[in-house]
Amino acid sequence: MGFNFDFALSTVPTIIGAIGTTLLATVLSCLGASALGFTFEMIRRGGGAPGLAVRFLIDFVRSTPVLAWLYFLYFVLPFYGIRLGAMTVGILGLSLYYSGYLAEVFKAGIDAIPKGQQEAARALSLSRRDTVVFVIAPQMLRNVAAPLGNYLVSILKATPYLAILAVPEMLGRAFDIASETYRYAEPLTVAGILFLALALMLAYGVKRIEQRLLASGRR
Amino acid sequence: MLAQDPLPVSAINTTPQVQVDGLNKWFGALHVLKDIDLTIRAGTRMVVCGPSGSGKSTLIRCCNGLEPFQKGTIQLDGVALGRNARETATARRLTGMVFQSFNLFPHLTVLANCTLALRRVFLKSGREAEEIAMQHLTAVRIPEKAQAYPAQLSGGQQQRVAIARALCLNPRIMLFDEPTSALDPEMIKEVLDVMIALAKTGMTMVCVTHEMGFAREVADEIVFMDEGRIVEHAPSKDFFSAAAHPRARLFLDTILSH
Repeated sequence: MGFNFDFALSTVPTIIGAIGTTLLATVLSCLGASALGFTFEMIRRGGGAPGLAVRFLIDFVRSTPVLAWLYFLYFVLPFYGIRLGAMTVGILGLSLYYSGYLAEVFKAGIDAIPKGQQEAARALSLSRRDTVVFVIAPQMLRNVAAPLGNYLVSILKATPYLAILAVPEMLGRAFDIASETYRYAEPLTVAGILFLALALMLAYGVKRIEQRLLASGRR
Repeated sequence: MLAQDPLPVSAINTTPQVQVDGLNKWFGALHVLKDIDLTIRAGTRMVVCGPSGSGKSTLIRCCNGLEPFQKGTIQLDGVALGRNARETATARRLTGMVFQSFNLFPHLTVLANCTLALRRVFLKSGREAEEIAMQHLTAVRIPEKAQAYPAQLSGGQQQRVAIARALCLNPRIMLFDEPTSALDPEMIKEVLDVMIALAKTGMTMVCVTHEMGFAREVADEIVFMDEGRIVEHAPSKDFFSAAAHPRARLFLDTILSH
């Protein structure tokens, strides 16, 4: 059973039909993980009991498999009356899981900002919120553009996990074709190439943004 | 409250603007400020000098609430620093601070550095903020760099922008923490010239510096610190002609001999 090129081509429309789901899951998970990760890092920096709780949560999330989170959210939460759709659970799970990693990335990005920046902001009477929004966050983003981009690509590549919840993303769709036709090489290859193309485009986009950030005002 | 309220000449040098009483500060076990009493009157140009580690930077950083302290009081125009957050915020708004390492925001243009606090703290409109900023950038003779980023400027230019940024908030007291110590020798003059011009406007200035030439030319009063204490506080003329304390004389000999 060799690789049938015509068959491979015939699977492309079906698999590409799922690209929207893959992209939606990627974009929303990236946004969710970034927002959650940044919030976690801010709470952790605040210290006290909330800081300690977040510190524990981040370590806990990072030390457990992402599949465990997806299963837990999907199968255990309904027992407590929380019933979420498969796509919602998937995005929630990926956001939560990657937020732990992104919190670490943001931490490094903030630690790399010279202390004088915060002092200057205080001397100018900027509020804490304004200091974060106008002074810390933009410089942090510039510091973390490269590692952040890596994690965004990782999130893209983690979206096939959602197949276990029957979310119709690209790899899941490819596997459905394989199961129906007993031909695995072609649909899986097509899905793999599509993921490669998406990852390369995402990485290129991140690189462009990184260059623009670096171009505006080097230290 | 304007920075240059038209005070009658007799009022200048009589209204205490900064009042420090019994100030003590520790960094952990290290006692860095010991029983500091200091009165700075409106319009005074004060230079704080002394060997490194004597507490002079810490003292002026306490004067705008950047450093907390454990004992004593600091009042700016009668408003206490460090007692509660609201009063501290009010008092801090009376001050402008210039740092040794400039601390401009590298991701913002020169103009945006100057307008940020005007817009966010003083709630000025964008146009109004830019007009104020351009006035001060013109005063420090760097208006043509308004759209540049800090990294595109020399150290001296960056420090002049930092001075303009501090002036934008219309402070009543300007604090300088070794403003020329991070600069190449040929850039020191352009910064000192701006500070001399500022002194001529009657601004109250407190400057930590090793630039004794500047101190001699501009300062009315010199505070000499050693090991966390003010060991000498004298009019500038007296200090340079006949410093009373042996430690101060030794310092002057060392620093003026080269």
